[in-house]
Amino acid sequence: MLKITNLHAKVAGKEILKGLNLEVNGGEIHAIMGPNGAGKSTLGNVLAGREGYEVTQGEITFNGKNLLELEPEERACEGIFLAFQYPVEIPGVNNTYFLRAALNAQRKYRGEPELDSVSFLRLVREKLNVLHIGDELLHRAVNEGFSGGEKKRNEIFQMAVLEPMLAILDETDSGLDIDALKTVAEGVNRLRSPDRGMIVITHYQRLLDYIVPDKVHVLADGKLAATGGAELALKLEEEGYAWLEDGGIGSITNENAAPAEAP
Amino acid sequence: MNEFSQQIAADLPQDGKPRPEWVRALRDGAADQFRAHGLPTRKDEAWKYTGLGALELRGTRLAIEEEASQSSFAAAVIEVEHQVRMLDGRMLELAGGLPAGVTLLSLDEAIKNDVTGNGVTGLQDMLESLPASKAKQLSSDGFSFLNTATLENGIVVHVAAGADGGRFLLNWSTTEGDARLFNSRVCVILEAGARLELLEQFESANANTSNANTNNVVFQAELGEGASLQHVRLQQESHDAGLITRTEVIQKAESEYAYYGFDLGGGLVRHDLHCSLVGTAAKASLNGAYLLDGSRHVDNHAKVDHMATDGFSEQYFRGVAGDSGKAVFNTAVYVHPGADGTEAKQSNANILLSRRAEIDTKPELEIYADEVIASHGATVGQLDEQAIFYLRSRGLNEEQARMILTTAFCQSVSDKLTDRKLSEAISQRMMDVMPQAQG
Repeated sequence: MLKITNLHAKVAGKEILKGLNLEVNGGEIHAIMGPNGAGKSTLGNVLAGREGYEVTQGEITFNGKNLLELEPEERACEGIFLAFQYPVEIPGVNNTYFLRAALNAQRKYRGEPELDSVSFLRLVREKLNVLHIGDELLHRAVNEGFSGGEKKRNEIFQMAVLEPMLAILDETDSGLDIDALKTVAEGVNRLRSPDRGMIVITHYQRLLDYIVPDKVHVLADGKLAATGGAELALKLEEEGYAWLEDGGIGSITNENAAPAEAP
Repeated sequence: MNEFSQQIAADLPQDGKPRPEWVRALRDGAADQFRAHGLPTRKDEAWKYTGLGALELRGTRLAIEEEASQSSFAAAVIEVEHQVRMLDGRMLELAGGLPAGVTLLSLDEAIKNDVTGNGVTGLQDMLESLPASKAKQLSSDGFSFLNTATLENGIVVHVAAGADGGRFLLNWSTTEGDARLFNSRVCVILEAGARLELLEQFESANANTSNANTNNVVFQAELGEGASLQHVRLQQESHDAGLITRTEVIQKAESEYAYYGFDLGGGLVRHDLHCSLVGTAAKASLNGAYLLDGSRHVDNHAKVDHMATDGFSEQYFRGVAGDSGKAVFNTAVYVHPGADGTEAKQSNANILLSRRAEIDTKPELEIYADEVIASHGATVGQLDEQAIFYLRSRGLNEEQARMILTTAFCQSVSDKLTDRKLSEAISQRMMDVMPQAQG
């Protein structure tokens, strides 16, 4: 489904990704872990097409199409969904209105009929039920005044409604307490399907207690430094990322000195 | 005085009509002032960013009295039971009758009644007391002088103490033809505890033809103790049309005035909106949105004078300018000595959609009292790129994303209207004319 080959990318003139290779197929969940500044969020943003992330080398294909030639909205319509690390607050834009406009834009792109408000509301209620989310967030402006947990739940809710083929969760666990983390993880697990691929970007292992990945990759200094099964995450939890430098794989010597990622 | 002002002054009619002495004195006095000072120019501080070149360029002449050959009106933005049609500044007809406690007359009729002793209480005082703007140059008040010098057309609404006047629509239209300047006066008198909703609609009947007329309307309102006036104004004039208005509201104790103005059209638009809170615990809420495209120019000057204790005022204005549109916004609060316990909020935010568009915003705040809570903010910016990306990442294209964001920005004003039908109708109008983003 997704094939990333030798990806190099710059942010603000600084090379962050330095030859990354990754292949994700339908039904697979890939976890990407790594120290701060390794390029985890850069990967998510490059895939979603955010401005300011310049791909200097390599290629990304999504279902055989050259992803890098597509606008962000075209990527969304092709089935890519990025759950933001920092979901944006949009005052005045009603959450339901926004989501219906987005879903209908995607349906139109795919040549499917647009949903009227009645059918859309039916779909939304169904998804809320499945995710055990109350309907109060339907009536509010997009993310405005939401708590950290509400913002992340709203991302998962949007994902459930838009039903992407590939979901990228960018540090969805950051800033969540354990209960919110469980809710979010449960939502993600309900969306697991044989057709859907997922990339779960996280700094900590604890999310992976609840979302069990098929593969775990360690991203360090812009490249995948190690790949393994779910057990790799446990090793990281025990030993931290220090073993990377001991093994001489990465050049990161101090997390604090690592280059900051662009927001 | 420039050539344009001289032309208008020369057009002032020789008045042979029978009138009460006080009206004649009022008209003559204002005519003298106008002949001496003319219309405002950019040399007047309050008109620094707004010139009258557009009116002059169109060969605007003062309208002399004549019967309109045709009358057509835009459809009302929402269904309103009581509708008054105002053509070329004159009251044509009232549809829908009058609720109990409401007196509604054309201005000349009200003045005639005054002679026979059946006049509207307080009308003479109101007309004689139109305050000067206290500007240094008298030319700043040129349009007011002109309005008083030609005082004849207009409408008077009086609501008796404790009565609920319901909702009225004033539908303003002008006869298409050569560019002319029409003068009109609106007088609203609410006795203690009275209530009224006034919806004004300034719109050319035929949206597809150009209409280069200009209305010069002075709106005076006096709110008795505990009275409440809701004033909604939808302005969607043709892109050649001018609209010069001045709103003067005097508020007694515990009265409430709420203004919601929507400038969606008009080539040259200027509105001076002024509330004087003379009684204790009066409340003024001034809200507006202005949307500009083409080379339109919209200038709003809002001012609240807190002259008594425990008053509350808020000003909430949102603007969007695209193409080479130009918006001017001036918000002022003046808390007089003794007006202790005043609370005043000012908020003005603007979005520029093109490099050629321009917005000049200036908040003013002067406080001479104690225990005052005041806040103000004025911003001019672009749309939030993070928000645009967020919307695009969900499948909306850039144009849709920008449209959603600018619409939401302006809807924050229409959302304040408690009548959902009205706020939705206005919101739809805004979406229809929303300027597009460009480089």
